[in-house]
Amino acid sequence: MARIPPIRMGLSRRDFLKICTIATATMGLPVEMVDKVAAAVKSSERPPVIWLHFMECTGCTESLLRSSHPPLARLILELISLEYHETLMAGAGEQAEEALKEALKKYKGRYICVVEGAVSTKDGGIYCQIGGRPAIEILRTVGEKAGAVIAIGTCASFGGIQAAAPNPTGAVKVSQVLSRPVINIPGCPPNPYNFLSTVLYTLTFGHPPELDDLSRPKFAYGRRIHDQCPRRPHFDEGRFVESFGDPAHQQGYCLYKVGCKGPVTYSNCPVQRFCDVGAWPIGSGHPCIGCTEPSFWDRMSPFYEHLPKIYIPAGGGIRVEAEKAGRVAVGAAAAVVAAHATIGAAKKVLKSISGKEKDQEE
Amino acid sequence: MVKKDKEILYRRVFVWSWALRLFHWSFALSCAVLLLTGIYIHSPPFTTKWAEFKPQYLMATLRYYHFAAAYVFMAAVAVRLYLLFFGNRYERFTDFLPINRRNIRSLWQSLKFYLYLTDEHEWRMGHTVLAGTIYFLLFMAAIVMSLTGLYMLYPDVSWISKMGVALFGSLQMARFIHYILHWCFIFFVIVHLYIAIWNDFKAPEAIISGAFSGSKFLPAEVEED
Repeated sequence: MARIPPIRMGLSRRDFLKICTIATATMGLPVEMVDKVAAAVKSSERPPVIWLHFMECTGCTESLLRSSHPPLARLILELISLEYHETLMAGAGEQAEEALKEALKKYKGRYICVVEGAVSTKDGGIYCQIGGRPAIEILRTVGEKAGAVIAIGTCASFGGIQAAAPNPTGAVKVSQVLSRPVINIPGCPPNPYNFLSTVLYTLTFGHPPELDDLSRPKFAYGRRIHDQCPRRPHFDEGRFVESFGDPAHQQGYCLYKVGCKGPVTYSNCPVQRFCDVGAWPIGSGHPCIGCTEPSFWDRMSPFYEHLPKIYIPAGGGIRVEAEKAGRVAVGAAAAVVAAHATIGAAKKVLKSISGKEKDQEE
Repeated sequence: MVKKDKEILYRRVFVWSWALRLFHWSFALSCAVLLLTGIYIHSPPFTTKWAEFKPQYLMATLRYYHFAAAYVFMAAVAVRLYLLFFGNRYERFTDFLPINRRNIRSLWQSLKFYLYLTDEHEWRMGHTVLAGTIYFLLFMAAIVMSLTGLYMLYPDVSWISKMGVALFGSLQMARFIHYILHWCFIFFVIVHLYIAIWNDFKAPEAIISGAFSGSKFLPAEVEED
């Protein structure tokens, strides 16, 4: 392996290679590619990044920085030249706005625009404003001139909780505002390695990674959680957790019956896991809530049930459990059938009585 | 209504081709398997334990039966869709959908008959329009069931996932639709069985054995329509 000197900001060579190896594995590339990825990190010009925060909780940035295990954040901040990031930048107010304007002018068409959070569109987008400008306007100016646009987190990728019903601010995903391709890195929060690997892939190969039908990198969102889940054998065997804390839960059985959305969720969580400590929801005994899928707040909730509720637009709108509604409807159908048969039988009896009377009269 | 004490001459008419009967019974059997295994897959009422002596593969096995039955189901639906256009005249959609004045009148007549508002049974060679319309809606539901099912079974096959995302948005939505529509099939089984039996009492055409033999019986005085 070529000798790679430690890079700046106290990131040790060991950490650097470790992260490059994990990122390479995340991309689904063989170990021989680690050298190339590492070389690309070192030799390439640091791409300027403008990081926009809209309607979100900053959880994506927080999970990226992960102050308890900083090497990854260091590498990301080394790898890119962060021109504008409201959470991290020292400047504020006029100064910050000036930095954004300058970066736009200086790196026009070359910078990566990373968006965190959904965009309000209702009433001209006045529900999210930064420096007196609505988010939708900022996104249009910054997004259209960018070299590439990456939507990080479920809010930016699919609207997230802001776009969940009743969506009072008319929140939409980034790709709905921009008329250009957007790379989605969904998750609530997304795994920082998925973001890092997407950037590294682009730096190494000069083109973005292959995307799926929802514009997510296939290397990270190409397989279902269910298909890579360590609890899958319990599913196939028919061993299920019935309620939290029961013996089945203590034995680590499948969480399907307590609402696990693993069978309908695409992500590399079971393999990649979080925070360099091997933790992830199902590993900790919690069902997957499907946070990397479109409109998961509406369709994946209730989180501890299998299916969303049925919405009946009667009166003020009623939400019914699909299972209960079905049972009631089938019960009603059976009752109608029984009533129908009874009426028919009763009619026949009545007729035969009246027929007999007629016969007697005759 | 046909009076009991009156002697009636019946004539035997051949209505349902072998293809339609094959469709009917493969559809019926696959629906039964699909509903039973599907209800288990949705919410397994009985489960196994780790301590069991030998592996059961209960969920995996029932899922396998579900998928096997699903192929029979899809093949049956494909046969019926073909017959909708190229079957004999009683199997074509033109015969039993309310698309002309005569059929709309027949629909109204069947509704009244089933609601005990009239005792006048309309003798038809093929399906009554009410039945035909419900069958047609069920075929449409069956197509949606097949598409959502395929999407859930092969979400990683390129064209299927493209179709799934375009039609249903996400796997969860497909799963939701698949679940809601399965209730339609349960309704249908209840009502279909009931009406088949009820009809045998009210208007003895021998339609139950007709589902095997392909022919039914009409009073001799009934004109061919």
